[in-house]
Amino acid sequence: MANLKEIQRQIKSVSNTQKTTRAMKLVSTAKLRRAEELAKRSRLFAQKTNQVIAEIASRINCSKVGGIDNRCFVQNDAPKAIDIIFVTADKGLCGGFNMQTIKAVNRLMAEYKNKNVSIRVRGIGKKGIEYFTFNQVELLDAVKNLSSAPDMQRAAEFMTQSVNDFNDGIIDAVYVVYNGYKNMITQELHVNRILPVSIEEFDCDKAANSVLELEAYDSEKMLDSLVAKYAEYNMYYALIDSVAAEHSARMQAMDAATNNAKQMVKSLTVKFNKARQEAITTELIEIISGVESMK
Amino acid sequence: MDTLELEVITPSGLIFHGNVASVTVPGEEGEFGVLAQHVGLTTLLKAGVVEIHKENGKKESIVINWGVVQVANNSVTVLVDGAVAIRGDSESDISKALEEAKALIDSVADSHAMIASVSARIESAAQSHLH
Repeated sequence: MANLKEIQRQIKSVSNTQKTTRAMKLVSTAKLRRAEELAKRSRLFAQKTNQVIAEIASRINCSKVGGIDNRCFVQNDAPKAIDIIFVTADKGLCGGFNMQTIKAVNRLMAEYKNKNVSIRVRGIGKKGIEYFTFNQVELLDAVKNLSSAPDMQRAAEFMTQSVNDFNDGIIDAVYVVYNGYKNMITQELHVNRILPVSIEEFDCDKAANSVLELEAYDSEKMLDSLVAKYAEYNMYYALIDSVAAEHSARMQAMDAATNNAKQMVKSLTVKFNKARQEAITTELIEIISGVESMK
Repeated sequence: MDTLELEVITPSGLIFHGNVASVTVPGEEGEFGVLAQHVGLTTLLKAGVVEIHKENGKKESIVINWGVVQVANNSVTVLVDGAVAIRGDSESDISKALEEAKALIDSVADSHAMIASVSARIESAAQSHLH
């Protein structure tokens, strides 16, 4: 009988968990919709900004605009110091979402450590911060409560330090690592080099034919402020994209958890029925043998 | 009449998209107008008012706090940080937009003279919208 009670208790506990995970899935679905909408609206701006920067970068690189040696557009093959900015979630229960980002950061760090590059890690998101603190990786700064509520102002402030240090020559590259939203069921890991602006994919011939003309009255100043905005905006977009991905990952994880709980309740019910039948059988045998012995 | 395609994009989305007759933007070096067939250029914008002259002769104003304009192939792309469009059906809608626009300018402009001049521009834009 004790076994029966035990199983019953388990069934109850598992179905309670199932209720919780189902509720969490619904919450994530609602939040995802909002985050997705925000990401969608911002995507256009991100694309256009990158396009403008790309065109300027390609022109400078193909030396169509002379006399500009802005650091942000000069490719550096042997950086001495880099910034790695990672964005993880503030909360767990979202499957491998945070771990994927952390692994990517570790890979990037290992790669640069081999080349004797000094690395500064800047973290956004509680989960990543906890991981790296536990593993005794020094973080330059650790920002919490930003990845769950993306804010342009705070993202810009965060990014400004890296941009300034880059312009002052303290660091030679800035990487942003985050897990972005691809669709409802997939996340896409992004390791983006924000600075210096990447120019590999630009075609010089195409740039030569374009009609773009840079108003070069004070091009240094213009480029500086443009690049700063570009970096800040990319940071903000990473946050928005990450929050959408976080909710989609959590939705999936909670869906899987609900299904698993369902399976578990099913197998526990079978077990319960078997145990009950067994108890009845044992009792019957006892009665029958009792009657037999009285004859 | 020749027209050009105009897009005004903020981080939170597209706020204007359409064919217009001309557009006047507050460049860093000074205000300039863009008509159809304008030569390609890319430059920064400062806080001020983007005036859009539509095909049907109507005017629309959008207050911005910072931006980049790219003119290429008869299309103008204005990327801005924050923007408030002065439009609305009723007077109260417009006055609300006006308040927002002033707050936007106050937050970025560093000199009083600049705030005053932009504010005056906003007021006149709102006036012309009402009549």
